Amino acid sequence: MEQGKFRVLLALVLIVFSATLVVSSNASAADVIKLGFIADVSGIGAPFYKSQKAGLDMFIEEINAAGGIKGKKLELVVRDSQLKPDIGANQARELILSEKCEFLIGPTSSAVALAATKVAKEFKKIIFFHTSNAEALTTTAFQPYMFQVVPNTGIEGRGMAVVLSKKPFKKYSLIGPDYAYGHDQLNSFKSEMAKRRPDVEILDTVWVKLGESNFSTFIPTLMAKKPEAIDAAFWGSQLSAFIKQAKPYGVFKDAPVSSLFDLDMLRSTGSDMPEGLTGYARAPFYAIDTPQMKEFVKKYYDKNKEWPADWAIMAYDGMIALTEAMKKADSTESEKVVDVLGGLKFNSLRGERYIRAEDHMANVGIYSGVTTKSPDYKEFLIMKDVQAVPAEEVWLSVEEVQKRQSEQK
Amino acid sequence: MTWQLFVFMLINGLCQGMLLFIIASGLSLVFGVLRVINFAHGSLYMIGAFLAYSLSTILAGESLMGFLILLMIVPPAIAIIGFVLEVSLFRRVYRQEHLLQLLLTYALVLILDDLVRVIWGGEPRSVTRPDLLAGSVNIFGMALPSYNVFILIVGPLIAFGLWFLLYRTRTGNIIRAAVSYPDTLGALGVNVSWVMTSTFMLGCWLAGFGGVLTAGLSNIDLGMGMQTIIECFAVVVIGGLGSVGGALLGSLIIGTGLTFFQLPFGRWALVFPYALMALVLVVRPWGFFGKPER
Amino acid sequence: MDDMTSSSRAGWITGITVTVVLFILPIFLGQLGKTGEYWIWVCTEMIIMALFAMSLNLILGFGGMVSFGHAAFFGVGAYTVALLMKKADFPLYLALAAAPLVAAIAAAIVGWFCVRLLGLYFSILTLAFGQLLYMIVFQWYTFTGGDDGLHGVPRPEILGPVNYYWLCLILFVICFLIIRMIVNSSFGLSIKTIRENMERAKFIGINVRRYQLLNFIIAGAFAGLAGGMLCELNRFAQTEFLHWSKSAEPILASLVGGMYSLAGPAIGSSVLIFLKIFLQQVHRSMVEVWAIVLGVLLLVVVLFAPQGLVGLYQNIFKKSQS
Repeated sequence: MEQGKFRVLLALVLIVFSATLVVSSNASAADVIKLGFIADVSGIGAPFYKSQKAGLDMFIEEINAAGGIKGKKLELVVRDSQLKPDIGANQARELILSEKCEFLIGPTSSAVALAATKVAKEFKKIIFFHTSNAEALTTTAFQPYMFQVVPNTGIEGRGMAVVLSKKPFKKYSLIGPDYAYGHDQLNSFKSEMAKRRPDVEILDTVWVKLGESNFSTFIPTLMAKKPEAIDAAFWGSQLSAFIKQAKPYGVFKDAPVSSLFDLDMLRSTGSDMPEGLTGYARAPFYAIDTPQMKEFVKKYYDKNKEWPADWAIMAYDGMIALTEAMKKADSTESEKVVDVLGGLKFNSLRGERYIRAEDHMANVGIYSGVTTKSPDYKEFLIMKDVQAVPAEEVWLSVEEVQKRQSEQK
Repeated sequence: MTWQLFVFMLINGLCQGMLLFIIASGLSLVFGVLRVINFAHGSLYMIGAFLAYSLSTILAGESLMGFLILLMIVPPAIAIIGFVLEVSLFRRVYRQEHLLQLLLTYALVLILDDLVRVIWGGEPRSVTRPDLLAGSVNIFGMALPSYNVFILIVGPLIAFGLWFLLYRTRTGNIIRAAVSYPDTLGALGVNVSWVMTSTFMLGCWLAGFGGVLTAGLSNIDLGMGMQTIIECFAVVVIGGLGSVGGALLGSLIIGTGLTFFQLPFGRWALVFPYALMALVLVVRPWGFFGKPER
Repeated sequence: MDDMTSSSRAGWITGITVTVVLFILPIFLGQLGKTGEYWIWVCTEMIIMALFAMSLNLILGFGGMVSFGHAAFFGVGAYTVALLMKKADFPLYLALAAAPLVAAIAAAIVGWFCVRLLGLYFSILTLAFGQLLYMIVFQWYTFTGGDDGLHGVPRPEILGPVNYYWLCLILFVICFLIIRMIVNSSFGLSIKTIRENMERAKFIGINVRRYQLLNFIIAGAFAGLAGGMLCELNRFAQTEFLHWSKSAEPILASLVGGMYSLAGPAIGSSVLIFLKIFLQQVHRSMVEVWAIVLGVLLLVVVLFAPQGLVGLYQNIFKKSQS
């Protein structure tokens, strides 16, 4: 009963299979450097992706116009990992093997990043993270083929504890997305706060699934224990949904909320954003006063007709560091470039920065401030009294990094 | 927990339940008459939400009128999509085995969900609440969003409307007869296929209505259909497949349960709907209000 | 059914030919560098998903029980391997042996409740239990990694892509032969009798529930093994493995390949995976509309060829069924 059909199918399969092989092996060309961008195109990171892509495109256009690197042009290949680690990991593998990408660019979600960094390690390809920032990437999941140009969750969580410890509040409730980023961030916040202010009490931690945007059951739980202040580890569309829904629940009347007030979030929340909240940003263009930044902002605005969000700036900085490393190693191969990553100095839009040798973490800090309306920007609020919390003040000591790295599996 | 907080949480939970009821009642109604579990119900709900978003950008109003117009236009539009689907596809599989019916609706999930991605992109959207519903109502010194109160009012209205339609009109009599005695009904000269089409359209109308309400409540995104359809399954199973009253009870249990369990159990509260669903199926497969299979 | 007839011998010959071709395939693919390595990876995935589809078909096609929670056992197998290897330093062979055992235990518990229900209610209860397991894995952040999944599952040095492909192929062939034996045994006959006519099966003294439960457990065990194999291939376990939409995959594969034959689901599964990657290679934008392609394909099969590709083929060529 099963004989003839097998032969026909077998023949069919073999024909199509070999055709596909021909198609797929013709795809590569020798004179380009392919950069595989594992991006969270859809979902709550969608606005971030647009900014990241704009930043990367701008850098690639500029460097290609200047002749590329060692005569090779840069080319971006994008995949949508939809915030899902399994999809991201498989795409990283596909980008390396099928698209022949020599370098990888990380996603928005830290969970996807933790998955992708394992693949990068397996195939010995450099991956850099400009947005996803789990501290674990540089400690328990550290591998030398990665570097990070975004303040990690440890720097952010401890940095916010430094800022908020100067405030009078004694009772905090925490809320955050239930995955690597949220856990890393809030744990760092808790431990640093306990060190600086033993009198502060953490009443409750509410975990919400990443991407869930209906907070109707979570906000009453958060407020039930009557906190004096709230630290929220949300980001992107999830954060703007939280802020929009928290308002009619009277949250801001009872307790100020601190979180990541990046430009894209401020833009999409618009006039729903309350004034006077203390928060932080990773790279606020309006508060960083370097000549590179001024030039970049002007170019970016002329090209995209909007102000550059933190994500565009950090993606651009990541490309500066990567190409700087390629030039220093005089090579366009990951396996050679990796040798110069530790200690690499690069002139980022945020000023002179270097990559620490032990954990490949760039010394990038956060910028904290208080939300306010500004006459210069009509559509969104910005932060005033912006203060930089330098990475050196809050990042893990080298001993701590090495201790955590040795616990790695 | 003080009694004030208890009442506040109860009202908040009931409002969640009401939204769930509006969507799940459509699923239950369709199952009752058509005997098809419509996986695509969640996708139609999602399309309703995204249509509401697109229309709201055109209407560009934060007035209550603009929002009411959405509630008047979008659900009938979804009902029309439902009409097309019922006549062209569902009708062909009523006499087939359950598996093929399920797979047909699952195929629609794949197609419709991806169409939404192609048309609206992957970015989460939301509809701005009308000014009148953007504020909050004071309950024992705690603020409850007026939008939630609005849902709490609209939900029972829909429930009453459904009850009136099913138990006080001739159409309702026929629909209920179609649930209990489909064969006899045909013999009596009633156009059964028309009854099925209109019931399906009513189910889609409810999905669309729920979609509009959700668009004002929270963000809408590509995963919302898949997520909601499973919650609706839980509701419908707990209440009893095919029973609208059961759907009401199931929604209110799940809505209030999720709100109350969040405080003591945190993230484990989300396990509750599925645990209850499994428990009901094991103990009383036909649910609280359903009847054992004939 | 098919004892030592000529058709059965022909079946053996085709089977052996296919196996030999599959065994020497990576030698050719190995010549193609990275592209070859990518395709070895794709082929390994095909083999594993084929096993998953065949495991479901034991209850779906042969048992007539539509389970929408089969992915739960696949996921349990994957998490068993991931947890044992990552957290308890188990060697691969022990972890892979534990995967079907743990999955079988889970299937025994779930199945004990589920086989009490019939038809649609059975389907919904499997869905409920599947989602329940999914939620537990999702929420148990400290143990399972929740939404993050468990990534970086270790891989023994000697198991490069090609060796792992061969390992999976050997396991698949063994499983195929075992499933074939089960289907053709008296147990398999009883299962098919129950599918055809439950009343008659009861009448001739078959303990319906016990047979269905046993079948459910066996299917769960094979799904668990497939899950464990996929976990080791991708080197991660993810909550999505248990999600109900994952349960739909082998059902689609069985439907496309034909659910009343032994190899049908395996073929269907491979065709679907291959089609997806083929379209992706032809044009990038096809990834965006893959779900639409799959959905339309499924619609066509449901409406016009409910017997699957194999059935369609048989209809066209007017093949008589043995």
